[in-house]
Amino acid sequence: MAGLSRRASLAGVAATTALLATRPLSAQAKTTLKVIWMGWPEGQVKPLMDSFRTARPDVELQVETIPFVQIFQTLEVRLGARTPDPDIFICDSPLTASYAARGHLMDLTPHIDARRFTPSAIAAASWQGKIYSAPFGSSCPVLFYNKKLLREAGIPFPEPDVAKRWTWEQLVEAAKKLTDPAKNQWGFSFEQQERPYMLLPLAQSLGGVALSPDGFKATGYVDSPAFVEAYGFMQKLYTEWKVSPPGLFDPNLPVEQFGNGKIAMLVAGTFNEATIKNKYPDIEFGVAPYPRFARGKAVTPTGAWHIGVNPRTRHPKEALAFIDHFMSHELQVLWFELRPYPPVLKSVWEKEAHRFETDMWRIVRYELEHTAVPRPATPGFREYEDILRTALRDITTGADVAKTLTAAAQRIDRELEKYKT
Amino acid sequence: MRHGFREPWIVVFWFLAPALAGLALFRLVPILIALVGGFTGTKLTGETIWVGLRNYERLLDDPSFWNSVRVTLLFNLVVNPLQILLALGLALLVFRPTPLVPFFRAAYMAPMTVSLSLTSILWAILLEPTMGPVNGLLRAMGLPPQPFWRGEDQALATLVGVASWKGVGYWMVFLLAGLLLVPKELHEAAMIDGAGAWQRFCYVTLPLMRRPLGFVLVADTAANFLLFAPVYLVTQGGPNGATALLMFEAYQAAFTYLDHGRALAVSTVILLVIGLLAFFELRLLRERGA
Amino acid sequence: MIPHACIRFGLAVMRYSALVFVATVLLLPIYWLVLASFRPAADIFATAGTVSVATFLPERLTFEHWREAWSGELPRAVANSLFVALTTVALGVTVNSLAGFAFAVFEFPGKRLLFVLVLATFMMPFESIVIPLYVLVRGLGLTDTYAALILPEVASGLVIFLFRQFFAAVPKELYEAARVDGASWLQIWWRLTLPLSGPTIATASLMLFVHQWDAFFWPLVAAPGPERIVVQVAIARNVTLEVANWGGLFASASTAILLALVPFLLLQRFYLHTIASAAER
Repeated sequence: MAGLSRRASLAGVAATTALLATRPLSAQAKTTLKVIWMGWPEGQVKPLMDSFRTARPDVELQVETIPFVQIFQTLEVRLGARTPDPDIFICDSPLTASYAARGHLMDLTPHIDARRFTPSAIAAASWQGKIYSAPFGSSCPVLFYNKKLLREAGIPFPEPDVAKRWTWEQLVEAAKKLTDPAKNQWGFSFEQQERPYMLLPLAQSLGGVALSPDGFKATGYVDSPAFVEAYGFMQKLYTEWKVSPPGLFDPNLPVEQFGNGKIAMLVAGTFNEATIKNKYPDIEFGVAPYPRFARGKAVTPTGAWHIGVNPRTRHPKEALAFIDHFMSHELQVLWFELRPYPPVLKSVWEKEAHRFETDMWRIVRYELEHTAVPRPATPGFREYEDILRTALRDITTGADVAKTLTAAAQRIDRELEKYKT
Repeated sequence: MRHGFREPWIVVFWFLAPALAGLALFRLVPILIALVGGFTGTKLTGETIWVGLRNYERLLDDPSFWNSVRVTLLFNLVVNPLQILLALGLALLVFRPTPLVPFFRAAYMAPMTVSLSLTSILWAILLEPTMGPVNGLLRAMGLPPQPFWRGEDQALATLVGVASWKGVGYWMVFLLAGLLLVPKELHEAAMIDGAGAWQRFCYVTLPLMRRPLGFVLVADTAANFLLFAPVYLVTQGGPNGATALLMFEAYQAAFTYLDHGRALAVSTVILLVIGLLAFFELRLLRERGA
Repeated sequence: MIPHACIRFGLAVMRYSALVFVATVLLLPIYWLVLASFRPAADIFATAGTVSVATFLPERLTFEHWREAWSGELPRAVANSLFVALTTVALGVTVNSLAGFAFAVFEFPGKRLLFVLVLATFMMPFESIVIPLYVLVRGLGLTDTYAALILPEVASGLVIFLFRQFFAAVPKELYEAARVDGASWLQIWWRLTLPLSGPTIATASLMLFVHQWDAFFWPLVAAPGPERIVVQVAIARNVTLEVANWGGLFASASTAILLALVPFLLLQRFYLHTIASAAER
């Protein structure tokens, strides 16, 4: 921090010098902030950036939008070079600890008023008691179902009521009736068939814990009986009951199949509501909460995109001004209009209440306040996620559940070793 | 290489300088840094520390490394000869410019205009177990649908097939260029001697093709050892490690496991293996030709 | 004579059947992709799992994805990629053919070692040198310039290797004769070797062109600004974790494929030309 504040004051001195200098010089000394952003469509990026440009005409923004498939790799190279570039970057919330531990994130604790945010967003932004990333959006999956297919199969609709949440056991019975191999029609699918994000709640519902509290040990957690039981259940969706289509390699494909009426029920993120409505206007669908196991509790995943500041930035003042602007109520409302992620600011939920009067948003609001569990806070989240993801993928294709999870836990432990110092 | 012209070094220098300067700056220096990096580790804070042979020792103890070695060798043992034989076959097939052949030549080159990542995504969709058109075709023909990428015993073969779909046209181009450089008179002379097509191919064409063939062998080997886009985008090394190529191992070590020492050690192994194979391939062709 | 003609006819039938078969296998996936770019978004995957007439001949067609793709950043990306690729081809053919010529024609101390180093440059995974390369390019102040995209790719070990292998096809006696006539080596390279190496230059150009046309990771690292977006990046922007614009993906991918086909068609003419002139010789 000492080095940082010195650099900050140096930058301050530089800025003052620039202001004192002759006018043409000060025009030249316009600060440039380099921003690495997710490759969202241009129409969802530019209005936000323009809003900051209007507020701070003295700051030039250079925005680089990176396609999703390469964003983590590109950030690794750019941050790994340990230069002041970029000043600001979009940060997947569970990677907060990973970047922070490696010195790629500025401590934002003094700068962020935690009381303004939903607790789950602050939890996802924190590591070792400090806030390292600015929450910019949250997430929450729900159960989408095709009304026509359920009606034809004589299945009562799952209710949009968290008190009457379906159990997985109930869901499987319904899915069996909704599956018809002859028509290539499937009863159920996860949107993300192998990502821990969407699948960890299965084990957590049965009391499983994703990782040791200190964030360094997976053995005894990832291979616990709750995990084995939960993912044994998941495996049967593909191998025994055959109600889920195997091998949809891209999380966007199950959504297409839901839209085409080939998948009857889908657990998927809230943003899919708009996708389905726009692309498949003929589909009549309903929304219900993320299921739980009959003898388990309700757990939902959460976390999404945050914003990080490079501690090596030469313009900390401007970078923090950027963060302030992006955490403001007005900008968060604009962001919600552009891309309806569950908001992270309490004020958006309260002042914009009229936007959240639908079944889906009522469910989401409840989940974020009561059932949402962020992904484990560990500097080794990338390793954790990848190893568990590979294991889950192998389990869906029929690998021995207990053995696969044990091997995965051991491999995670081996990889996390390097963070224990 | 034998009996070249001996000229003052300054002549040679000016021919080599532009290209070698670029190579030294943008390739050799980074490679050198990478080779040294194989003997280092990175602390969390970004400090680099010397660890000697530890990265390599850890590789030798690591079952997933040995699985990758096995998968990589198996993949290359099949894919390289297969691609080159097919490419040579295609080059011979389209060599004589009879009617419509120009169309076929262009058609065979078409897959190489599809980028590797797009090739991966395209074939991931086409070979989807439930919604892929290929399985649709199998079902229409009354055959059982296949798992392809998702089958433990089919994934590597699928990778060979997809790599070849993209690759054969590319390698055909070089072999075709080689064939075109064989003086026509030689073919004609051989024909007058009453040599059959097969004999002409073995005794006239093939010996003259040994340099282009040498190029294609080495370049194809390198390309396939370095291939990993489909693994990264579609199979993630699975199912159960069936497609965990060494290159993917190196990529993951660098970008997922953030273990640069290990990544660079694996990269060094890849470099050495390709280099060794290239050496033998060029040796083999030289003796055949002599 | 008749049996002989029969055999020839039979062989021709077999040859053309093989030609058609291979072309079908290689082209059908591309046909599916291009077709998908003309299907309404909801239809792209609707018919994929079951094969019917609609698989090959869609019931509804739309130009929506193409219009959308072309009104976005694709034109800029295409222009950038074309500029980068063509510049790389022009520079790359020149410097690499000079070096390839030296390796093929001259004898000099340290030649073997130097050649091994040249070969090593294309055997190292690019991903393992990308960080030092980025630091270097940044140190040179080239980030976010066209130079960052072009310069590192001009000198290519693989292309030098190609020239060295193929230049050997030019008989040594020609060089000796030219030397006796008093030609300098540069003149020999320019007036003798290059004109005799049409197909080689064409294939080398293709290699360099395709390499730059497919470039994806390096441009994102070295010049990710919107002004220098390249074609593969524009294509990939259609798919994110949460929303995939498959139609846009296929339309921009089709654009990239069809445009990249142009150099191949030019190469075609070049080959025909070479064969014709070889026949005249």
